Amino acid sequence: MNVIQGLRPEKLRELVLLILIALVLIVFSSVIENYLNARLFNRVSASVALMAVLAIGQTMVVLTRNIDLSVGSIVGFTAYFVGHQLSQYGDMHPMLAIFLAVGVGTLMGGINGILVAYCRIPSIIVTLGTMALYRTLLVEYSDAKTVLTVNLPRWLLDLPSLNLISFDRLHLRVLVVGMIVVVILFQIVLKYTSFGRKLYAIGSNPEAAKMAGFANQRMVLTAFLLCGALAGLTGFMFLARFGNITVVAGIGFELKSVAAVVVGGVNIFGGSGSAFGAFLGAVLIDLLENSLIRWLQISEFWRDALLGLLILISVATDSVIMKRFQLYWARKQARSSPET
Amino acid sequence: MMKKFLAVATAAMMVSSGILMAHTVAKKGMKADLVLMPKFLGILVFDQANQGAQEAHKELQNPGKLEFLGPTPENSVAGQIEILTTATTQGQDGIMISNNAGDQLAPAAKSARNKGMTVVTWDSPIPSAEGEQLFIAQVDFNETGTVMADMAMNIMGNAGGDFAVLSASPDAANQNAWIAAMKEALKAPKYSSLNLVDVVYGDDQSEKSYNQALALVDKYPNLKLIMAPTTVGIAAAAKAMQDEGLCDQVKTSGLGLPAEMVSYTMNDCAPEFALWSFVDLGYLSYYATYLIATGQMEGIPGETFKAGRMGYYNVEKDPTRAEGLRVLMGPFTVYDKSNVEAASN
Repeated sequence: MNVIQGLRPEKLRELVLLILIALVLIVFSSVIENYLNARLFNRVSASVALMAVLAIGQTMVVLTRNIDLSVGSIVGFTAYFVGHQLSQYGDMHPMLAIFLAVGVGTLMGGINGILVAYCRIPSIIVTLGTMALYRTLLVEYSDAKTVLTVNLPRWLLDLPSLNLISFDRLHLRVLVVGMIVVVILFQIVLKYTSFGRKLYAIGSNPEAAKMAGFANQRMVLTAFLLCGALAGLTGFMFLARFGNITVVAGIGFELKSVAAVVVGGVNIFGGSGSAFGAFLGAVLIDLLENSLIRWLQISEFWRDALLGLLILISVATDSVIMKRFQLYWARKQARSSPET
Repeated sequence: MMKKFLAVATAAMMVSSGILMAHTVAKKGMKADLVLMPKFLGILVFDQANQGAQEAHKELQNPGKLEFLGPTPENSVAGQIEILTTATTQGQDGIMISNNAGDQLAPAAKSARNKGMTVVTWDSPIPSAEGEQLFIAQVDFNETGTVMADMAMNIMGNAGGDFAVLSASPDAANQNAWIAAMKEALKAPKYSSLNLVDVVYGDDQSEKSYNQALALVDKYPNLKLIMAPTTVGIAAAAKAMQDEGLCDQVKTSGLGLPAEMVSYTMNDCAPEFALWSFVDLGYLSYYATYLIATGQMEGIPGETFKAGRMGYYNVEKDPTRAEGLRVLMGPFTVYDKSNVEAASN
């Protein structure tokens, strides 16, 4: 019990998620033949790479008691925009292409941020509007053309299968490493910088944060800018992974990112959660999805329902266990504090 | 008496049509304001259909307007109903619809018909045929089944083996009909070595199709081919096999766009696939709609008309639906290394 005592509630939540992920692995390896192998790691990691980056962006916004529903459209637009530029200027430097994606995403996130922070319009309304606006912008910009794999530069097409390190058949892809860097970077920013701590403060009590002299508006704007930037980066990864980009690119990503964030233990009412938690949430959802489609006994029609149910169960058990431990933790502290 | 009547009738037909076969040849320059409505905007195939319709519009010297109007992708169903209703209010003479709203479009189509508007569907019909005068079908569903079975046979060779289908969504009527037709075709003895192991769905999303394709490879170690009768699915499956270095082991085939598939055909990930011409589909739809909207054709079974460069077509009862009439375009073009590059430009 001493170990648990030493854990902060957030750490505990992450531990619970890790246990859930292990549980999923154990359950499916017992029902699916040849389940646990290098391929599973390669596939889930490559697929998580996109959603985790997006979920961390969403985390920034959700921490401040807001939500960004336009991320799917930002992913779609940046994927198309950068793809279109690369088809025309194939000799563009890879770093420039990435900067372009991040830049466009940041700009779109900035529009959301200004409307939410300075015009005081609820984020759900603003981003519901920009979700449609950015999508329409994509439709207009695309002029019904598809970004075609055949016109894209070679390096971009090879990027998804590029391995940084390989152990036997286990591959660590470059895109996956990029995602890990993002996770670590944002984990550090949230945990150890004053910017990160202020984000939590604004989310848990905006009034108090204001009284304490925090520039709330600027902080919210920054959260949206970061979310847009990461959505732009996801757009770039989307382009690299799928090659052919049409106007439907990224539809539905906004809800998936919110699901990953919530499953990852980021409080939808702001103030608590971590980048690592959002990453674990993305892993859990993707693992469930990838495992369910391989489970022969489950019909196609039940898979989505089962996935929804599993997400609900994981969030519910998570919150029940969390409450228990929080109570235990508080009592333990109350009991031990008079002694000191 | 009867003989005399027949003789007169035949003579009249010969006079009116110029040759023995009774068919309508379009009179040019008649005015009809027409609307071409895709499932939604921003997709290449629909833009190609628009090209074909614009070509026919110029050719027929229609002094009216041809507008290409469609909803945005996330608002497809409601948007289609709205555009149809607006077109009716504006007094357009005809509309060509690739229906994405199922029977929900029927009430709006019926009120358009009541206002005297011509309603023709193409690519995807109104299932109940209510409010629709004619459906321009791209290909015969039975032919789709045979074409897919033949491609599977060509790719897997006479030894055959396991293959799986990657479809769009479980409730896409056209996809299901094609898969059913393929299953029917597979019963023939010449395909006995082909073993269909599974049908999975990628919902026409790149991401889900990509993951489904990889899951199939994991599920069936002896899988030799993924057959995807959807342009999104086939491209995603081919990309997935290429990214994972599986192209030697598992091939991809199905219905695809040459421009999207050219690199996979050239590197042998997808050696063969098929499709019809969406340009031609738009062109043919325009001809049929123009003829009906300008009163040159009624749109009843047995009528024959000439669609410019494409030749003669019949109006017939649609054998794939309980009600409704269709004009069958066909045929398929099968693409491989020899012709895909030319078609992709």
